[in-house]
Amino acid sequence: MIDVTIRSGSKPPLGGWLPPAALSAPQADVLNAIADELIPGGEGFPPPSGVNVVGFIVRYVAPSGQEAKWYPFLTEAEFARRLDELGSAFVSASSAERVQVLIGLERDDAEFFGRLRDMVYYAYYSRPEVVAAINRNLEAGRDYRNSPQPYGYTDVMDDWDDDLLSRVKGTYTRTEDVVRLPLPENLRP
Amino acid sequence: MATHSETDVLVIGAGAGGAAMSKRLSDGGVKVTCLEQGDWLHPMNHPHMYDGWELERLRTWSWHPNVRMFPEDYPTTGNAAPMMMNGVGGSTLHYAGAWPRFKPVDFRKGTEHGLEGTIDWPISYEDLEPFYAINDAEIGVARRVGDPGNPPRPEGWGPASRGGKVGRKMGRGFDELGWHWWPADNAILTREKNNRMACNDCGFCLGGCPRHAIASTDVSYWPKALANGVDLRVNARVETITTANGRATGAVYIDRTTGARSEVRAKIVVLAANSIGTPRLLLLSAQKGYPDGLANSNGLVGTHLMFHSWSFEDYWFDEPLEGFKGPEPAVLYSQEFYDTDPSRGFVNGFSLQVGTALGAANSALGTNTGKIAPWGAGHREFFNKHFAHHALVYVQGEDLPVRTNRVTIDPAVVDSSGLPVPHVHYDLHENDRRLITWGQERAREAAEAAGPVIDMATTGIGGVGGPPPGWHIMGTCRMGNTPEDSVTNKWNQTWDVPNLFITDASSLTTGAAVNPTSTLQAVSVRAAEYIKRRFADITSQTKTPSNADAPDF
Ligand SMILES: Cc1cc2nc3c(=O)[nH]c(=O)nc-3n(C[C@H](O)[C@H](O)[C@H](O)COP(=O)(O)OP(=O)(O)OC[C@H]3O[C@@H](n4cnc5c(N)ncnc54)[C@H](O)[C@@H]3O)c2cc1C
Repeated sequence: MIDVTIRSGSKPPLGGWLPPAALSAPQADVLNAIADELIPGGEGFPPPSGVNVVGFIVRYVAPSGQEAKWYPFLTEAEFARRLDELGSAFVSASSAERVQVLIGLERDDAEFFGRLRDMVYYAYYSRPEVVAAINRNLEAGRDYRNSPQPYGYTDVMDDWDDDLLSRVKGTYTRTEDVVRLPLPENLRP
Repeated sequence: MATHSETDVLVIGAGAGGAAMSKRLSDGGVKVTCLEQGDWLHPMNHPHMYDGWELERLRTWSWHPNVRMFPEDYPTTGNAAPMMMNGVGGSTLHYAGAWPRFKPVDFRKGTEHGLEGTIDWPISYEDLEPFYAINDAEIGVARRVGDPGNPPRPEGWGPASRGGKVGRKMGRGFDELGWHWWPADNAILTREKNNRMACNDCGFCLGGCPRHAIASTDVSYWPKALANGVDLRVNARVETITTANGRATGAVYIDRTTGARSEVRAKIVVLAANSIGTPRLLLLSAQKGYPDGLANSNGLVGTHLMFHSWSFEDYWFDEPLEGFKGPEPAVLYSQEFYDTDPSRGFVNGFSLQVGTALGAANSALGTNTGKIAPWGAGHREFFNKHFAHHALVYVQGEDLPVRTNRVTIDPAVVDSSGLPVPHVHYDLHENDRRLITWGQERAREAAEAAGPVIDMATTGIGGVGGPPPGWHIMGTCRMGNTPEDSVTNKWNQTWDVPNLFITDASSLTTGAAVNPTSTLQAVSVRAAEYIKRRFADITSQTKTPSNADAPDF
C-alpha cells in the first residue's frame, strides 16, 4: 500500500500534516462553538461550523509524535486539553455566555487566544463556501479566487491609465552635478 | 583532505550574485565550480495552490531562517532579524523582483554629504549602466520606458506589470499632488521566456513563483550556467576559504547529507554568500597570516551593514481596489523625495513604493500593520469594509552606512554543521529615523490625495519594532577607494587577497533608496566580465592593485 503520510523530516510539511491531528467529536464541537463566536455567520456569510474550519485547523496542529516547532506552535495533546477544559459547558452555553468566556480567555491567556483566533480566521477565509460568499456579497471581492494559482487574475486585471502617465514629471541629479551640500545643522559634527 | 577537485574559479553561494557570476564566467568558457549550502526548490513546494497559502508565510515560507529552521538555514543572533533563503537561487527564491536601479547620485554620497561611514562608490552609474542592461536582458525585466525621474533605460523584455485598480488609484493621488511616479520595473516576466511562464497576476509574489515568472536565479541564470558546464554542488556548506602565500587556494566544504569534508582548489575564489554569510565566512576563515579573518586586516569585514529604513503604511479607501491581484510589493513608485534636501533636517531620501495585500485571511489578520478585524459582533462589518479596499505605501529610505552596525561571529551558537553563527547588530541612525518620520507624512499626503481614506495603520519607524526588517541586507564588505575605507577595490577584489573577490550585496558601498538586487547583479556581471578578460593578470598578482593601478577591462 502507498503510505500517504507527510513526514516532516526537519521541515514543516507544506499544507499541514497528513494524517492530521485527531480531535474527538466533543472537542470538535467546542472548536466549532468558539469559531462561531469569533466570526458570527450572517449577512450572506455561513457560520464557521458549517464550512469545516475544524478540518483545516487540525492539519496545522502538530499531530502526536511531532514537536510544535512551527506556527501555530500547538501540539495535538495541548490543543485537545485546552478544548476539553472548555468542554460541553461551553458548547451548551448561550452565545452571550460564550462571548464572556472568550473575553476572559483573551485577557488571561492572550498568546493562546491569539493563536486560536488567527487559526480560525485563516481557516474560515480559506473555505470555498466563504470565498463564494465574498464573490456574491462584496463588490471588491467579486473576482476573488480560492487560491492564487493556477488561474491568477490576468483575465480581470485593470491596466495603467495612459493619460495620467503622460503627465508625469520628474528629474534626477546627473553624476557630474553632484556637489557637497551643507549638512543639516543638527547633524553637524 | 580526503577528496579534492580543481577548477578555475570557485564561486561560493548560488544566489543573486553567485548565479550571475557563474553564468557570465562560463559563457566565456571559464571553468567554474559553485558551492551552495542549500538545495534546489521544486515548483510544487510553493504554497500558491494550497488552501493554507496565506498561513504558510508563517511556516514553510517564512522569510526568517530562525523561524523556518530548515537544515540548510543557519540561525542568526543579535538584535536584528535578517531575512534570507538558502538554496539554489538564494534569497531570490523569496524575493518579489522589484527592480529599480540606483540613480547616478547614489554613487556619489560621499561627495554629497559623507555623513557617518558614507563614502563615494569607486565607480559611477555610467560605469555600471552596460551591466545593468546585460542583467536586465538575462532576467527578462518588465518595464515601461520613459520615466523622467531616472536616466533612460532600455526597453524591457515585456511591458510593465499592470497596475490594477491600486495602480490607477495611487497614480491619481501622485498626479493630484504633481509628484513624480512611475510604474515599477519588475524582474517578473510579462512575456514568456525560455520555458518560464509569464506572470498571471496571482498576487502572491513573496512566496516565490511556481510559474517561474519571477526571476529567481534558479530559473533565470542557473539553467544556462549548467548548460555551460558549471559544476554546481548543492548541500555543500563552505567551512573555510583556504590560502597559501597570500593567495586564496580554494575552500573546504561539508556535504550536509553525509557530513564529509571535501576541498575545491581554484585559481580564483569568488564569495557570494550574501551580506551575512560572506562576512561570516571571512571571519570563520581566520588562519595563519589572517588572525582576524580573511580580507580583514583593516577590521572592516562585517561593518557598515545596511537594511534600508522602512515604514509600512496601510490605507483603506471607500472603493474596491482588489489588491489581491497583481504584483504584490511594487506596483509603482514615487521618487519625488529621493534627493537630499538639507532643509528637511536629514540627508538622503526615500522612495514611496505602492504595493498590495494578500487575500481575505491576511486582510482579517491586519494586512501589513497588525490592524486585525475584531472578533465577534463587529467582525463582518470591519472585514467587508477593509477587504480589497486597500493600498500599501511603503517608505523605503536610504540608511547610512554606520560602522557599528555589523556582523560578527557568535561562538555560543552553531548551525546544523556545527559552524558558529553570525551575530547581527543594527541600530537605526537618528538621521534615518527623521527621514522615515518625514516620509510617513508624505505617504499619508499621497493616500489622502488619492482619497477618501477610511482607515489607516502604520508599522511605525523602522518597520516592525526597532531595527528595520532585514530583507535588503547590504554593505558589510563594501567596495571602495582605498585599502583603508573598504574591503575590496573597484573590481570587487579584496584588498588583502588579490584572487579573492566578493560579488554579492555585501559589496554595495551605499544602499540607495531602492531595492538592491538589480544593482548587485550588475556589479557581479561587471566583475565576472573583468575576471574573464583579466584572468591572466589576476592569477599572477601578488598584491591587490589600487583602483588607479588596476588593469582596466
Ligand atoms: C522576502 C524578501 C523579499 C525581497 N524582495 C526584493 C525585491 O523585491 N527586490 C530586490 O531587489 N530585492 C529583494 N529582496 C532582496 C534580495 O533577495 C537580495 O538582495 C538578494 O538575493 C541578495 O543576493 P546575494 O547574492 O547577496 O545573496 P543571496 O541571494 O542570499 O545568496 C547567497 C547564497 O549563499 C549561500 N551560502 C551562504 N553561506 C554559505 C556557505 N557557508 N556555504 C555555501 N553556501 C552558502 C546561501 O545558501 C545563499 O543561497 C528580498 C528579500 C527577501 C527576503
